[in-house]
Amino acid sequence: MSSHARVPSAAHAGLASPAQVTFSPAQLAEVRRLQGLYPDPRAALLPVLHMAQDTFGYVSLEVEEYVAGLFALSPAHVHEVVTFYTLYFQTPKGRHVVAVCHNLSCHLAGARAIIDHLEARLGVTVGETTDDGRVTLQSVECLCACEHAPMMQVDERYEFDLTPEKVDRILERLR
Amino acid sequence: MPKLTINGREVEVPAGTNLIEAARALGVEVPHYCYHPGLSIAGQCRLCMVDIEKTPRPTIACNTLAADGMVVLTETERVKETRRSIMEFHLINHPLDCPVCDQAGECWLQIYYMRHGLYDPRMTDEKVHKPKAVPLGPHVILDAERCILCSRCVRFCDEVTGTGELGIFHRGDQSEIGLFPGQELANKYSANVVDICPVGALTERDFRFAVRVWYLDVTKSVCPGCARGCNVEVHVNRRRPHHNEGRRVARLKPRFNADVNKWWICDAGRYGFKAVDDKTRLREPFRREAGTVTDASWDEAIAAVAGALERYAPDEVGVLASPRMANEDLFALRRVLERRGIRRVAFRVPPAVDGDQDEILIRADKNPNARGAELLGLDGDAAALLAAARARQVKCLWIFDHDLLASAWPEALVLGALGAVETLVWVGANANATSERAHWVLPAAAWVEREGTYTNFEGRVQRLRQAVEPLGQALPEWEILGRVLEALGAGARPPRAERWFRELAAATPAFAGLSYQAIGDGGQMVRA
Repeated sequence: MSSHARVPSAAHAGLASPAQVTFSPAQLAEVRRLQGLYPDPRAALLPVLHMAQDTFGYVSLEVEEYVAGLFALSPAHVHEVVTFYTLYFQTPKGRHVVAVCHNLSCHLAGARAIIDHLEARLGVTVGETTDDGRVTLQSVECLCACEHAPMMQVDERYEFDLTPEKVDRILERLR
Repeated sequence: MPKLTINGREVEVPAGTNLIEAARALGVEVPHYCYHPGLSIAGQCRLCMVDIEKTPRPTIACNTLAADGMVVLTETERVKETRRSIMEFHLINHPLDCPVCDQAGECWLQIYYMRHGLYDPRMTDEKVHKPKAVPLGPHVILDAERCILCSRCVRFCDEVTGTGELGIFHRGDQSEIGLFPGQELANKYSANVVDICPVGALTERDFRFAVRVWYLDVTKSVCPGCARGCNVEVHVNRRRPHHNEGRRVARLKPRFNADVNKWWICDAGRYGFKAVDDKTRLREPFRREAGTVTDASWDEAIAAVAGALERYAPDEVGVLASPRMANEDLFALRRVLERRGIRRVAFRVPPAVDGDQDEILIRADKNPNARGAELLGLDGDAAALLAAARARQVKCLWIFDHDLLASAWPEALVLGALGAVETLVWVGANANATSERAHWVLPAAAWVEREGTYTNFEGRVQRLRQAVEPLGQALPEWEILGRVLEALGAGARPPRAERWFRELAAATPAFAGLSYQAIGDGGQMVRA
């Protein structure tokens, strides 16, 4: 049957060339280890995609194709996973990711004002990255810390009981 | 074999049968979208819910295997209410654009809404909008708003073709069917996803807006595109001739045959019907003398052919039969050859390019009836026949269907042979470069315009049936050959294809015991 013939698309322009999208031997060993953990190796897609994102910066179409090859899957099925989860970035992200909870508790406790404040301070709207590549701003569903609403996640750290002043201090620390 | 009770009736089914198929065995229809007997179970659409005694809530029938003693109820109030709710979910974001949708009339959203929905819609919010009229490949076009995400097309590309082009991207009410960016849905079986799409999400680019499906008449037949002989339905538009630009055959659809093609056909076969209504069709017999074409009646044409067969010595006549002719035609031809003692006969002309073949359906031999021609004893050395014509040993050459100038044979050799014979007779449905050099051209009915049988490469004899009248004065080859036989003094000819087949079966051991009735819709094997 037909192979996965690729038509060059605009989405590919200017992205890393496939030659650069390659794991190190140590990473490949880790892929094999992860695949061995599950009855269906496909279950290791999530950790491997995280690894790929950490290594290549974001999950480009080339990265999806590369990972698909590691799992003997069609690229469409990797694309399904990447588009399903919000924690995989399909476009380059900033050095820091600020994710504000907009779910019920945080909303009632003033998340909207926090988001407005962040947008004003960073000069971006939700979903965008600052021009200097410093911060990507997101608003997300519940992060399971309602007792400290409004809250947000900055990279791998939770920040609780936000006020505009506290947000400013946090942003100061991000370089 | 588990024995269970469905709606109060007992049924015994093979182990491993799910409840949809078990109910089907009793004639009970359990509505469903995502389940397809040729694909894996997805359990995605939730519509096939049934009540099973001693289970607390309705259960999907597709993913529940029949078990001994199971008591299933498919029409309880609770099941009906569940179906109604699920229909409402499926239609929440549906654009309800039936008036401009090709699927209308054969859409399972329409059918099931009328049978199992009939609720008053409660949705007041704006519907979610998604991409519309997106070409996925050469044959298939997507309307993502009409899609109910049953994933049949995704599973088809994963499990049947193994090409994996399609996926369901994003999440929740934003989910949509799509291709990996930059890919095309261009595998050799791509249009099957249109057949299995239960709604108007995937439609055929070729058939799009051509004719409303309720104007189509359906005839069971067999695809003539290769030696597999996939079972098809021919969908003909007779009632709205002003639609579809006068083309009578609107589309082909695969017809289930467990032993031949299951539920599928290849795209080459599906779109191979275009020659039936195209400009190269021959409508009247004619003669060509010194480059001048003169219309002739059938009586004149038959008299001319029979006259030539009698005028030349049997060894001066060569016949190139075609593996595209039906068994009945080939048998009638054999009768003519026997009557005149003609021995120079062959049917295999090497194609210019070798045909493609795969492990699914497609066969390299692009002819539907080579096996039949073999079994009827028409195999011979076609190249030697051509050489004999070139050497003027054969003075009358009778060709069926072939275009020798589009074959693997060098053009100069073919032209030398065609130019050397005194009388060149050509019979076929569509004119070609070879017919344009013939002295007599006799128009044959196309495969959708006639009755007959093909024998596929495995030896399965299958019926093609007449879906439309022959164009102009075209006749089935068995009728043309029957008239030639009569002109040669052979007595009354069989009046129908079925009668020809009866004679064939009586005279040919491989076909002994076969009849149109025995062949039926699924075909019958010849004797080994």
